Amino acid sequence: MEVGLLMLVGGVAAGAFGSLLGLGGGLLIVPLLTIGFGLPLREAVGVSLVCVIVTSSASASVYLERRQANLRLGMVLELFTAMGAIAGGLVAFLLDERLLAAIFAVVLVYVAITMLRSRPAQGDDAATAAAADGPSRSERLTGSAVRRVPAGLVGSVGAGVVSALLGIGGGIVKVPVMHLVMGVPLRVATATSNLMIGITASASAIVYLLRGGIDVNAAGPTALGVFVGATLGSRLGGRVRVGMLRALFVGVLLFTAFEMARRAVGLS
Amino acid sequence: MSTLRLDPGGTGGRLESTLGRVLQIGTYASIVLVAIGVVLLVASGRSPLEAGALLVIGRLLADVAAARPEGFLWLGILAIVATPGLRVLGALIGFARGGERVMAIVALLILGVVALGVLAGLVTG
Repeated sequence: MEVGLLMLVGGVAAGAFGSLLGLGGGLLIVPLLTIGFGLPLREAVGVSLVCVIVTSSASASVYLERRQANLRLGMVLELFTAMGAIAGGLVAFLLDERLLAAIFAVVLVYVAITMLRSRPAQGDDAATAAAADGPSRSERLTGSAVRRVPAGLVGSVGAGVVSALLGIGGGIVKVPVMHLVMGVPLRVATATSNLMIGITASASAIVYLLRGGIDVNAAGPTALGVFVGATLGSRLGGRVRVGMLRALFVGVLLFTAFEMARRAVGLS
Repeated sequence: MSTLRLDPGGTGGRLESTLGRVLQIGTYASIVLVAIGVVLLVASGRSPLEAGALLVIGRLLADVAAARPEGFLWLGILAIVATPGLRVLGALIGFARGGERVMAIVALLILGVVALGVLAGLVTG
């Protein structure tokens, strides 16, 4: 009974953290389940995919109603992220868990460094919209005119593969691809990425589910906790000092990366 | 193909609002099912670290009727996984009704890829 409640509380923490910092909970759920509860990595990835779908559906519903997410752009790209996700879901069962842990550690360090370097994006959307030529200002602001489409599609396949291998939403790939490569304003890219996460994670979750890679007993409390945490996080946003939280999160990411690296070399 | 224009269409945001509601209802319905399953699991004294029951579609309703945790948990998880697919299905209908043929084809292709995932899971599982 205590383990169930601990899993629930862990899910709440991961969901709240992820929501407050604008990241999916996936980056924290997999380490929570593997390092905290001793679940095999692949099983933790399956559970995390379920949690990632929950948070994506909940937040995407808001982004769609506010028209912050670009539905059409998201659907064109998610066709490719879904393809990548199925490929990733199949490959995940062929890879050694130690290799998966090594990839996870690298991704965690990358996210930690990105968070340390990031500055508040002042005037970012305006800068994107004020580009010299091509689409109109309103098209650029809504992300309804995008450039470098082939590169964006390849990046989307990559985001799907990463999502399926590691049980994360893949926003860490999708948002830079949309924003930096395709010229989509950051706010629209973030909202659209959130929308796409649902179907991307669904495609790979189906593969995990049918291959027995999702444990229902672990998935239930964690998914419920993550939903509650993400809801709390979205309500607390603005009242919490994100700077402190960000520093704490970087510490957690680096510690988790260290533990994953130990796992990768067979030390835990 | 340096710039792709994705015309927002003539639905005036109604489609987005409808799809938002589909996601919202799907999420709340699935979370309620999962929450019932978690309460039953905790009340049964079983640890979530014990290997859970495998998904047997034919047994799902019987498990729910007998108030077994795995019945509610699996039903909730299936609803979670299906919700984004329902959003795409809703978009397909909306685009087809609005005469957005290209976007309707995109939606159909996405559903095709998801179906491919089901097939891949069944063949390799």
